[in-house]
Amino acid sequence: MNPEMNQRLEALLETVQRPARYTGGEVNAVKKDWAGRTTFCFAFPDTYEVAMSHLGMKVLYEAVNREDDLLCERAMMPWVDMMAGLKEQGIPLFSLESHRPLRDFDAVGFTLQYEMSYTNILAMLDLGGIPLEGRQRPPEAPFVIAGGPCAFNPEPLAPIIDAFLLGDGETATLEMLRVIGQGRAAGLSREDILVNLAGVPGVYVPSLYEASYHEDGSLAAFTPLMPQAPLPIRKRLELDLDAAAFPQRTPLPFSEAVHDRIVLEIMRGCTRGCRFCQAGMLYRPVRERSPEKLLELAKGLFEATGYEEMSLSSLSTGDYSQLLGLIGSLNACFMDQRVSLSLPSLRIDNQLQEALVDTARVKKSGLTLAPEAGSQRLRDVINKGVTEEDLLRSVTEAFEQGWSSVKLYFMIGLPTETDEDLLGIADLARKVVACYYALPKEKRARGLKVVVSASTFVPKPFTPFQWAAQDSLDDIRRKQALLREALKIRGVTFNWHDPQTSFLEACFARGDRRLAKVLLRAYALGCLLDGWSEHFNYQAWLQAFRDTGLDPALYANRVRGKGELLPWELADIGVTRAFLWREHERALAGQVTPDCRLGCEGCGLRRFDGVCLP
Amino acid sequence: MKMLVVYEKMGPHRFIGHLDLQRAMQRALRRAGLPVRYSQGFNPHLLLSFAAPLSVGVQGAREVMELPLAREMEEQAFLDRLNAALPEGLKALAARALEEETPPAMARLQAARYTLKPEEGLEALGQALPGFLAQASIPFEKRGKAGVRQADLRPLIHDLQLHGGALHALLALSEQGSARPDQLLASLCEYAGIPRPRCLITRTALLDKRLLPLEQP
Repeated sequence: MNPEMNQRLEALLETVQRPARYTGGEVNAVKKDWAGRTTFCFAFPDTYEVAMSHLGMKVLYEAVNREDDLLCERAMMPWVDMMAGLKEQGIPLFSLESHRPLRDFDAVGFTLQYEMSYTNILAMLDLGGIPLEGRQRPPEAPFVIAGGPCAFNPEPLAPIIDAFLLGDGETATLEMLRVIGQGRAAGLSREDILVNLAGVPGVYVPSLYEASYHEDGSLAAFTPLMPQAPLPIRKRLELDLDAAAFPQRTPLPFSEAVHDRIVLEIMRGCTRGCRFCQAGMLYRPVRERSPEKLLELAKGLFEATGYEEMSLSSLSTGDYSQLLGLIGSLNACFMDQRVSLSLPSLRIDNQLQEALVDTARVKKSGLTLAPEAGSQRLRDVINKGVTEEDLLRSVTEAFEQGWSSVKLYFMIGLPTETDEDLLGIADLARKVVACYYALPKEKRARGLKVVVSASTFVPKPFTPFQWAAQDSLDDIRRKQALLREALKIRGVTFNWHDPQTSFLEACFARGDRRLAKVLLRAYALGCLLDGWSEHFNYQAWLQAFRDTGLDPALYANRVRGKGELLPWELADIGVTRAFLWREHERALAGQVTPDCRLGCEGCGLRRFDGVCLP
Repeated sequence: MKMLVVYEKMGPHRFIGHLDLQRAMQRALRRAGLPVRYSQGFNPHLLLSFAAPLSVGVQGAREVMELPLAREMEEQAFLDRLNAALPEGLKALAARALEEETPPAMARLQAARYTLKPEEGLEALGQALPGFLAQASIPFEKRGKAGVRQADLRPLIHDLQLHGGALHALLALSEQGSARPDQLLASLCEYAGIPRPRCLITRTALLDKRLLPLEQP
């Protein structure tokens, strides 16, 4: 950025909300010399506060910056006031570290955490001076790459992203950047570099494939255009988490992040097999970090940040094999420094009480439980192996330990759901309230607060419900109304959201590459920051579907047949289609499948790499 | 004992809000491993107080914070360790060990010096200055928690001069009354009949009733 533009930026910063999120210069931010290095901008398609809460960005930022031949900087989605100011002043979207426009980097990488952030990707490319579609990009434009959970169905972004990484990124990102850097140094064409990227295990380059469709709109065929384009693309795996890169010097946000604390990833993957859960299928097999390694990482992170809070991250923290030992050693180590430990999304069916006793020594936060469905029948359908008895026992124990605030998470619109299942949610809430009042007054903390949240179910790729239809908007609204009435209970608050966002999420979660047209059209119509309810414009989205001649119901509300080719089946995640179909049928029959640690259920991971638990 | 720390908040750090600054300083003290003290209770917090919050966008050249220490420490050693944990533009400039009984910096604070560098209109402001200061009162609308009320700026301006391409102001800053430098600029521009220019403001000193810096109790 030249001095004159810098002046205009300074003046702009004086006028926008929370300017500190655009200035960079945080403690632990890394500013490397650009000469002779392959340059990578990690672009987070949401605001600074959300981005700086994201562990994956911190992992890759440090993994790339540790390498002498590479550098990584950061860019985030500016808020609307800043976006308007940048446009008005002719300032391109720039990185926080060197204040260079996105278009100057060798590669720009987006993390795909949530379908409703896709328009932000377009906005950031646009503001950063990069053509929106891959085929429009000149030779010197950055390679636009992407990863994260939504990359497992990359197709709706196929014309926009040059190369996707499916799976763990710690090592693969470095390999991708070197293919780009070495290709550019050798003077290879953009097309040749893309072909070389397709040779990196786990990488999908959409321009090297072609899709065709049946008359009913379903996918007919998906074909590589050259022998160098693999099919299927096997996901990348970091097998040894103790050896995998983990950040030690995370940039410390000045403007507070949503989650502003030390985050320790204790485990990747989950053996529970909940049938709605995409992460549970995508991130198999289960891999743990050792308690010794975690303690070492925690000490390093504290010394580099001074954080006052620490949390453990995984899909199912209660299943970490040495949880109590880990909590004990973390508490002992950080007692003097007053670092409190919070345990989110703890499963309610194991070891809860001991863990509660230990955390209570440091900090008392609310208790969050996720029964997901209101009746045992429906919990069996979704394979959420939790009983009412487990739940009420956990809640009672928490109340006895001095908690008075409980959050209960449910989904509505699950396959086979009836009104009886829904009313089961109210029934459960009432029983939780009763557990509180069953304790003698002097034994319970004051101010009972039970918050029931019900989100709208979105069927996701690579789950046993990938063939299922999402409920129509009318059905969901009727069910929400039913619950609003049923949950008028003293001490209980009911949270719900209009299902329009979930409907679009369902379209893009299981979309094909034709949906990119809808996305580009929606952006042209002004859609962005769709994850922020004050900016979500449903009518514009419907307009975008109409303008491109595609029917959203085809994607969201249609039951897929057993034989149908699904757009995301270009990826091999390890779990087989045969296993998912078997789980689908067992779900509809209301049959549960046990945790696979109790015995192999044959999901396909053993075939994949022989990497699964013995 | 307690330690009084003089620090700067310059450059892009002028955009950090007060709560964010408090948190950043607490974390820096923790990273530095200094013998800080914590409050009692279930959610203990690090004991640290600031002489006066600074508005977002205003630089601070010699800001002041104080913290009680769990054990005695040399001023220079404290300063060196803290600075090792602070980024450029947010460095500690001096540390002064004080008796626990010394009244808090916040209570001793009476006034502050500011420099204001308007991008344009300096000549017009210079011409208006004598007449502006000769006014018996300078009414302005003060926005507070209780809504908008009329207040008088004149008695809160102890000194105001223009030299070296900048305005230099000595303004009241205490619980009894404070003048904001941006309000001063607004009133002066209104009096001069010019639109308010873009202006970089720096608070250069925090003073007690003797008009001596707070670090000299």
